[in-house]
Amino acid sequence: MTGKSFGRRVNRIDQLAQNVPPARDLWPAIAEAIEADRVDALRPAHRRSRWLPAVGMAAAVALVTLGVFIGRMSTPTPDPIAGTTLAQGEASLIPAALRDANYRKQRDALLVEVNNQLKSMPPAERDKVAASLATLRRSIGEIEAALGRDPANALLQELLVSSCQEEMRALTAVRDSGSQEI
Amino acid sequence: MTTADKGRADTVVDFDAALIERARKGDSRAFERLYRDHVGRVHGLCLRMTRNPDQAADCAQDAFIKAWKALPKFEARSSFSTWLHRIAVNTVLEKRRGPSNAEIAVEDPTEYEEPVLSFDTPVEEEELEAAIQSLPQGARDALVLCGVYGYEHSEAASMLGIAVGTCKAQLHRARGLLRDRLERGVR
Repeated sequence: MTGKSFGRRVNRIDQLAQNVPPARDLWPAIAEAIEADRVDALRPAHRRSRWLPAVGMAAAVALVTLGVFIGRMSTPTPDPIAGTTLAQGEASLIPAALRDANYRKQRDALLVEVNNQLKSMPPAERDKVAASLATLRRSIGEIEAALGRDPANALLQELLVSSCQEEMRALTAVRDSGSQEI
Repeated sequence: MTTADKGRADTVVDFDAALIERARKGDSRAFERLYRDHVGRVHGLCLRMTRNPDQAADCAQDAFIKAWKALPKFEARSSFSTWLHRIAVNTVLEKRRGPSNAEIAVEDPTEYEEPVLSFDTPVEEEELEAAIQSLPQGARDALVLCGVYGYEHSEAASMLGIAVGTCKAQLHRARGLLRDRLERGVR
């Protein structure tokens, strides 16, 4: 197997050698990786978690999209129902995809897992993730409010769906970050 | 603790425990001792699963790096050797691209309960290793873990991410193929 000659004869398969040392010493490369890990661990403030870029990106996308939309909204077009907000009874104005029971159930389950995950994060990282998620939720809230004022606006509906998808992606990224250690 | 470790338990595990404790506190020299003690078995496992010396060395190396990072999660009540092997098997499976360990239909897994594979006529180690290497991936994985390294079906199945029945069936298949190939080789 490793180039060495096996002259031994065996009667049982469990008599085969379990110990087969590698041809080269693997320790130098392992030691180097350990040292890099140690240096990384000593700088928690500068450490970038795997889930942070995903969550940050999602929050940024939601903000930029919302900004573009608000820019469009500011053009003086007549708005017959301006000033109204989305009341409880008007839930049907929310796009069908977001009223789906499965989506709600998945999101609730994800939120529980993510909240547990947040508890085990170092405070600095937890604050960053929580801030990004809060930004996303604020954007979604603002879109919902705008949708309340303009329920038939297809662009707003699309924006709400994509922001909610971004939120789901971000929540999934945070949740999955906990199961990638091994 | 796995069957594979029982013979080594009294002498090695306690010694491992002290080294693990030191390694957990960041002592890389203690971890190097653990590496020296276990690298042969980890590499042997990787080599038999990958059939490629370079890939096996990479997998063994990655497994030890992952083990260092995951040491805080290691629970002392389980065997370090089994834990390390689990990481190594995971590493090999991750490096394999495409579908692996396909589930095979099993009607009654109990029919596959068999003792350790033995031969009436002694076989040369080299010949046996070559026959193992020629086995299909799923059958080979089960044979290496259960047959060579002595893991129970449940342990091997858990490491490979397959059902216990599938593991039994794969081992049964591996034994049949191995016997055929060895007989053909002998003739």
